[in-house]
Amino acid sequence: MNASPVHAESVAKHFGRTRALDDCTFTLPEGSVTGLVGPNGAGKTTLLSLIAGLAKPTSGSISVHGTAVRGRMHPDVSLLTQRRPLYEQFTVREMMRAGAAMNDRWSASRADEMLDLLAGVDKDAQVRTLSAGARTQVAIALALGRLPKVLLLDEPLSDLDPLARDETLRLVMAEVAERGTTVLLSSHLLTDLGDVCDHLLLLDEGRVQVSGDIDEILGDHQIVVGAAGVDLETDGVVVDSSHTARQTTALVRGGSVPSGWQTTHPDLEALVMGYLRASRSRRFARQ
Amino acid sequence: MIWTVWRQQRPVFITLATGLVVAAAAILLLRAGMVADLHAGNIVDCVRRSMESCRGEAARDFQKTWYDLIHIAQVVVIVVPALIGVFIGAPLFAREFEQGTHVLAFTQSVSRTRWMATKFLVAAFPALLFVAVLQLLVRSWVNAAGELGPLAGGPYYFTTFEAQGVSPIAYTLFAYTLGVFVGALFKRTLVAITLTLGVFVAVRGALALRREDVVEPIRVLSNDLTDPYAAVERGQVVVGTGFLDAKGAVVADPSAAKTKCVPNAPIEVSVEDRTACWQQNGLARSFRDVLPIDQATTVHLLEASIFAGLAVLFVLGSVWAVRRQV
Repeated sequence: MNASPVHAESVAKHFGRTRALDDCTFTLPEGSVTGLVGPNGAGKTTLLSLIAGLAKPTSGSISVHGTAVRGRMHPDVSLLTQRRPLYEQFTVREMMRAGAAMNDRWSASRADEMLDLLAGVDKDAQVRTLSAGARTQVAIALALGRLPKVLLLDEPLSDLDPLARDETLRLVMAEVAERGTTVLLSSHLLTDLGDVCDHLLLLDEGRVQVSGDIDEILGDHQIVVGAAGVDLETDGVVVDSSHTARQTTALVRGGSVPSGWQTTHPDLEALVMGYLRASRSRRFARQ
Repeated sequence: MIWTVWRQQRPVFITLATGLVVAAAAILLLRAGMVADLHAGNIVDCVRRSMESCRGEAARDFQKTWYDLIHIAQVVVIVVPALIGVFIGAPLFAREFEQGTHVLAFTQSVSRTRWMATKFLVAAFPALLFVAVLQLLVRSWVNAAGELGPLAGGPYYFTTFEAQGVSPIAYTLFAYTLGVFVGALFKRTLVAITLTLGVFVAVRGALALRREDVVEPIRVLSNDLTDPYAAVERGQVVVGTGFLDAKGAVVADPSAAKTKCVPNAPIEVSVEDRTACWQQNGLARSFRDVLPIDQATTVHLLEASIFAGLAVLFVLGSVWAVRRQV
């Protein structure tokens, strides 16, 4: 069995006739921070809950540090879900006590450390009175108290203001730097992801489109610009192309540089946008 | 884990504790007031005899003041199980699913089964304790009124039956597990509350109506043909009446015999004359089928076991519903 922090082998998850995930195979390396991106409904949340063990895959298998995930929370994994569920009536201190009570392995000091970072969270405040940023901090503290080796974050940055967003990312990065935790986080905020992620996992319609080291991926893609009306001859794969009256722009994966075209390597945002655009036009074409 | 559930349910427990203190104080005060009235009216001995043998203004005044109050206390004991099902059982899982906090528990290392079992038991225990204590308090008050209160109606009288023995606990278990199951199944607190109340009332009503059918009635005979309650003891429920002929067989149509004894002119016929006439026409003795008082415990246990069986089904259903939840 693969001993990587997270390894997925032809994982599929079907809900009735809907195929949320299909034939997903990928590996996350130790200590990596992977950005999980894709359009809405691509299967990001489903994938995260499968890795955590909240749901069972229809077929295929997932292993975390060499042990299979089967139908219940893997002890080495922490999952921060999108809704950040917390008991509203509890104080932060009581919430941490509940965390300790519900886990076999729990580090109160690790959780407290996280709560004290940045401005610090008032431990006697009720959870429902907390700001969105502080709430996320409590949820992350709860996730880290489990001493995870793999941290899964589902949209940890949504509904946070820019400052809280920046601070949340700093919390996550501090964790990675100190413990070497492997992180997989889904987000729509590409600029923020670019600052912290070294790996990328791009999902679309339940399938893995791109997976790997961001620098390698960017090096493998080129944006080519040429005059309108000229056919693009390349041995690479045209991911997406757009046309204006005067010029054609295309995102090309692999292959050599076609002559007569201007080429640059995309940045993360341009790359992901290219894939998202292609996904949308595929969907339109089908309708 | 127990602490976590206790903390989650804390508002409910505070409500139960407050309710119990208020109810206990009210019942004990009322009971003391009632006992004082018994002494003041000099009718203490009537408690062990009956209204009939204790005719007098004092006993009647006493009943006018106290009977309905005691009755209300019994009704409270009957209503509380439904409230527990609706307000403690139904939201137990439905609210977690509604607010998404079940995911919080599912993403910790505690197993779903343990989470479920802890929630189920920790929430149930105080509720059952509440019902048991309330039942005992009301029972002591009912006993203090004795034959001047609802006990005069016998053990099958509906409020007396349903507010004593194993019944209140059985109803509570039924209502609570029903609420838990419906809540886990439909995941909406409001839906769960409505369904719990509806199903509880329907099932309780249906079984209460069938209650007297499960007891084998006994037949009491009397030579007194005209008194409809001849030979019936206090508290016995009469489920059938009729007449026997001289050979001891049931008379199929006693009204035919009676019709012959109706005088043509509107004159008063004495009881003795009427009895003699009926006897001449083949009505030898009268009988009544009554529910034996000593069978009440059996009926309690029988009904309770039906509710306990349903409760077990609901528990299994809840386990299934929670386990399939993503």
